[in-house]
Amino acid sequence: MNIDLFAQLTISGVVLGSFYALLGVSFGLVYQTSKIFHLANAIPFAAAGYAAVWTAGVLGLPLFLALLVALVVAVLFGLLILVVGYFPIIRRNGALLSLFLVSLGIAVAFPNLLQIVFGTENLPLQVKGADGELEAAFSNSIYSFGFLTITLIDVLKVVVAWLVVVLVVLFVKKTRTGRSITALRTNPTMAAAVGINKWMVYVVVFALGSLISGIAGLFVTAEFVASPSMALQWTLIGFIAVFFGGISSLPGTALGGLVLGLLTSWSQLFMGIQFAPVVVFTALFVILLVKPQGLFGKAAA
Amino acid sequence: MRRAGLARKSVAIGLVFGVSGLLAACSSGSDSSSEDASATSETSEEAASGGDDAASEDTGGGDAAGDEATGNCINDIFGPGGPEAGEGVTLNGGMLLAMTGAGSFFGDVMSKGAQLAADQIREAGGMDYQITIADHNNGDVPTALTEVKRMISQDGIEVLQTSYGAPSEAIAPLIAEAGVLTINGGGSSPGQLSKDFLWQNRMVFAEDPATGALAYINEQYPDAKSLALLGTMENGVGVFRETAPNAWAKLTGGDVVVAEQHDVGETDFKAIASKIKASNADAILSVSFGDDLGYQVKAVREAGIDVPFMGIEFTSQAASIAGDTYDTFTFATDFYNVDNPNPWNQCFVEGYRAKYGEDPEYYGSNYYEQVFIFWDLVKRVIAAGGDPNDAAQLQAALIENPTFASVYGGSADVVGEVILDTNDHSISKPMGVFTVENGAPVLAQEIRKVSPSDDPASALVQ
Repeated sequence: MNIDLFAQLTISGVVLGSFYALLGVSFGLVYQTSKIFHLANAIPFAAAGYAAVWTAGVLGLPLFLALLVALVVAVLFGLLILVVGYFPIIRRNGALLSLFLVSLGIAVAFPNLLQIVFGTENLPLQVKGADGELEAAFSNSIYSFGFLTITLIDVLKVVVAWLVVVLVVLFVKKTRTGRSITALRTNPTMAAAVGINKWMVYVVVFALGSLISGIAGLFVTAEFVASPSMALQWTLIGFIAVFFGGISSLPGTALGGLVLGLLTSWSQLFMGIQFAPVVVFTALFVILLVKPQGLFGKAAA
Repeated sequence: MRRAGLARKSVAIGLVFGVSGLLAACSSGSDSSSEDASATSETSEEAASGGDDAASEDTGGGDAAGDEATGNCINDIFGPGGPEAGEGVTLNGGMLLAMTGAGSFFGDVMSKGAQLAADQIREAGGMDYQITIADHNNGDVPTALTEVKRMISQDGIEVLQTSYGAPSEAIAPLIAEAGVLTINGGGSSPGQLSKDFLWQNRMVFAEDPATGALAYINEQYPDAKSLALLGTMENGVGVFRETAPNAWAKLTGGDVVVAEQHDVGETDFKAIASKIKASNADAILSVSFGDDLGYQVKAVREAGIDVPFMGIEFTSQAASIAGDTYDTFTFATDFYNVDNPNPWNQCFVEGYRAKYGEDPEYYGSNYYEQVFIFWDLVKRVIAAGGDPNDAAQLQAALIENPTFASVYGGSADVVGEVILDTNDHSISKPMGVFTVENGAPVLAQEIRKVSPSDDPASALVQ
């Protein structure tokens, strides 16, 4: 085995896995609390990307401000989906399947809406330079250590992803709102009985999940481009990471994402990239057979 | 009962969202407000076109650029409208495109090219070309088959403009049985050649330029011995498996050290880049297409690999993904030049800019040309007293005279010309190797198509 290649694939796997962890936590937060298969989590992802492109490139906002605005837009879209798409069904005790169908419909329709509004072209993240001309917002520096390389955005992905994971876990464990989320997740009936407002918890969870999804969308936009079809495949990865890592545990979900990323990368030592989805779904299938609660999840009492 | 009713309403809401999404997907796309113009060659047009000064055979009556200006450039080039030009004839055309998903950019520009052509021909007093667009969902074969069957049975299409390799190969028996004259200007492939009613108006994807591309690498980098090959499973497979390895071995005596295929739409090429780096390949040839190329070039350069990277197409979409790294990219193809002074090309470009607010690019030009090929055939069949809505007669007219006007080639005074091969239904167009400078292609070397038994170095036009 080529040790250099293995080491580089490990680095790539850690970067990819960290991104999967971010996506998994975003999806998992919503699913664990509301039990909604929130495929429409793709919308904040894409909305953040397009918002950043538009505010920086068209409105000419400084990059930092454009990114902040983009995250606000992501949260707003997430809350819009909750209020307009899900609340009416939840209020009437609608079936989870109905919620899934609504989510699926929104997830399918939104890229087409983006296509109609913004066109089919890829939109790079650009800012207005001193001369008023558009230029790339990021210069993705490359760091080399012999054979090994890593880029600035890769480093940021790893750092930001795990910072977000830690902050979310601390938020859920240590804050009053976080404990409300846990209560609602573990026993909705008792949570209602002690006066926890389910709707407020949903708002917080969707806002947080959408914020994290928006962060992920900004990474993809900064590294590459914003495009109408940019989000759904990543959202599906987040969905897989939840069930792979642990449906009842956010840290488990994050670690599951990391393991998935490493597996995907290492598998390419032995097989072509076209088999990466096979590896991912085989791993998921095996885990669900052997440990249905997920790799790091806890079995039900 | 109440819950069941609510559940039904909820399902209905979900279906509404899903159906509206599908309907939006079937739209022919919006006017893009993108500032991105198609890349242009900066070299002389004669060099890019292969120096073809032949006058177009204008079967619509009138000489190219010879008539008095009528205010309608199409009439200036193709002659007056009227019954002989197909006025009053409605030709039902289908388009099988990628209208959604990662390839939606292609479907968008292809449909724009065709729609412009239809509008220009109608305004010039020619046929009324009615377009029905179907989405093959990014090259999905079952979807393509279903959509073509639907267009044939329900929309009554007489001609079809198809795209992508796998769907076009799959529909070949359908269109042959139904007698629908079909042209592919996108993912042409060896598997589509010599098929009844199926023709290509672009050089065979990857296959035709590959040998010239490798010969160019060999000439520029004579010490390069090991080659890395990248490609998809959708098209260019023959290059991957035979053409490139054989040509490379003949040119350099070297080997293919990495051969990686991927799914269309792949975005993460970091692992492949690592494998290429570990293999110490001296050059890279990619027969991938679309956005994939942009992701590949970016991943390879960010892995610190600085060997020559050769592709077989250039799109602004891929360039936007790759950013500055695309300035290290070279490609070999039958490239469309928006600055070609060919009078018909200028008419096309001006019309495209006026209608869509942006420059046309490679795929838009091919699908624009296809409609004019259909129009030319309609006029020929009318002149022969035949039925212009009979695709068999249209094809017979094509076989009788496979020469057509083109927005490629030509010169400031003369419309370009292309010739379809009546044996295998392919086309001959000028090809070149292009470098990318400041985001725009620049012709570096003219190349030609060669057969496997030829010396691959002869693919370079001296």
